[in-house]
Amino acid sequence: MAVGTLQNEVTPILFNEEAGAGIWLMRVTAPYIASTGKPGQFIHARIPGMDEHMLRRPFGIYAQDPNEQTIDIMYQVLGFGTEHMTTLKPGDSLELIGPVGRPWQPPQGCKRALLVAGGVGSAPLFPLAQQLTCDGVDVVAILGAQTAEALVAKERFCEALGGDPRCSTDDGSFGYKGFCTPLVEEAITEAEEAGAPFDYIACCGPEPLMKLVANLTANTQAYCEVSLEKRMACGIGVCLSCVVDTIHGKRRACVDGPVFPAKEVIW
Amino acid sequence: MQRSPKPTSVNLEVNLGGLSMKNPVTVGSGTFGAGREYHDFLDVATLGAVTTKGVSLYGWEGNASPRIAETPSGMLNSIGLQNPGVEHLKADELPWLASVGATTIVNVSGHSFEEYQAVIEALEEAPVAAYELNVSCPNVDAGGMTVGCNPQSVESVVSLCRQATKRPLIVKLTPNVIDITEIARAAEAGGADSLSLINTLLGMAVDAKRRKPLLARGVGGLSGPAVKPVALRMVWEVSRAVDLPILGMGGISNGTDAVEFMLAGATAVAVGAANFVNPCATIDVIDGIAEYCEAQGVADVNELIGALEC
Repeated sequence: MAVGTLQNEVTPILFNEEAGAGIWLMRVTAPYIASTGKPGQFIHARIPGMDEHMLRRPFGIYAQDPNEQTIDIMYQVLGFGTEHMTTLKPGDSLELIGPVGRPWQPPQGCKRALLVAGGVGSAPLFPLAQQLTCDGVDVVAILGAQTAEALVAKERFCEALGGDPRCSTDDGSFGYKGFCTPLVEEAITEAEEAGAPFDYIACCGPEPLMKLVANLTANTQAYCEVSLEKRMACGIGVCLSCVVDTIHGKRRACVDGPVFPAKEVIW
Repeated sequence: MQRSPKPTSVNLEVNLGGLSMKNPVTVGSGTFGAGREYHDFLDVATLGAVTTKGVSLYGWEGNASPRIAETPSGMLNSIGLQNPGVEHLKADELPWLASVGATTIVNVSGHSFEEYQAVIEALEEAPVAAYELNVSCPNVDAGGMTVGCNPQSVESVVSLCRQATKRPLIVKLTPNVIDITEIARAAEAGGADSLSLINTLLGMAVDAKRRKPLLARGVGGLSGPAVKPVALRMVWEVSRAVDLPILGMGGISNGTDAVEFMLAGATAVAVGAANFVNPCATIDVIDGIAEYCEAQGVADVNELIGALEC
């Protein structure tokens, strides 16, 4: 279920800039969401000037600053909606329902965590990296992207973790060449061999990646969570558009997720 | 912040075939759950009524995903009436709606005529103000489409349900027929107290790159502003064909849209897909109707019903 009360905030844009490779970063003033959002939750955005494309778009909260009352959204230009979003200027406003959904829920007493991000899946994992580090958890982060330019969250992760995330790119322009799953296997083996296995693994990215990571972790002691994205209409749990097949039956990605325990998802 | 309609001197109260509504605005079944999720945004007791998501005797799992697709000024859905069954509604949602003081219309679905009747029988002791019979949902292979498209079937199922209750019985019509007035007359003959229309229009969306339909089931129901002209036309036709009051719906997202339906013959209106875009759409519609009346010097919203000049 949703964690707290939802609000529909009118949120003025402070900046909206391309971070690299068709991935954009937007910062909006959103006092309520900035002060109540939890890592892994998302906002459901009504984009101005899209009357013919009327549905809202969900975006994970990339960062939030309760003091400045701002949140950051990372988005990749993929279709009409995200293309249109690139034309928005500071002073334009979005309308955001939020904070929505079940946040990441690392186990109590978690000591070592592995975070695996594919593409813009890095966005909802970044606040988790911050929280875990803050709680004294030893965090290893793996970021996969198509190109070096698309590794837009690398600097932030570096800052939050106090060390470099492990990176892969499809074209080999930075870090390991290829998909990031070999890095995941390597990190799990490494941690086990060092006698300090991960007790928590969180993954967000393309569904095939999450499925692979879920399978890789199935035989470990780690509690694994994945953040799923589905086509969504209401974003608050009524329309049943975004259902996911789980061992408990169909569950709503918006309010029963987006974060699910990996072992509950039927891929 | 929880919104309520603004105070107005206009009388907004209407009577929809025995259902007394404090204003003419309810919601399209399936777009509002049972109201609880929207209660963060608005006081659902201030709506003319809350229409709950379609309920069957036992739970239905619904269709495969993807279940929705965005289309120009609208959306397609093929949810497949996923619901946990009438006992859950009775135990959970209806007591909550009663506790906040909402007026409740329960939308009833069934795979067979007997199932419709059984759902109503199960609800007769529950806090329900009216029933809406979904004889028109195009999404479930075994039900909906066949019943709602055939006048004899509609008359049969309505009269069975009529025997099961004295509460107001609203019959929701599908637009996917050649002559909707024929179906409307059948519902009237079966004993309906009012008619709601339109349910979604059967449609399809295609992903050209992948050469696949955008919905898992191939086809789905179209709703949103795109369907409004069709809905208005059908409300107007039905209002002239039968003596029953009409609950009009199809693409309503503001007060002006609602007034257009009332002028075309609707006594009340339902806001559907607009709830997904604007969670306070119902409140904006109520305020918009009142503002229209104030600006036009209309003291009683009932003056608008069927007042189209042509």
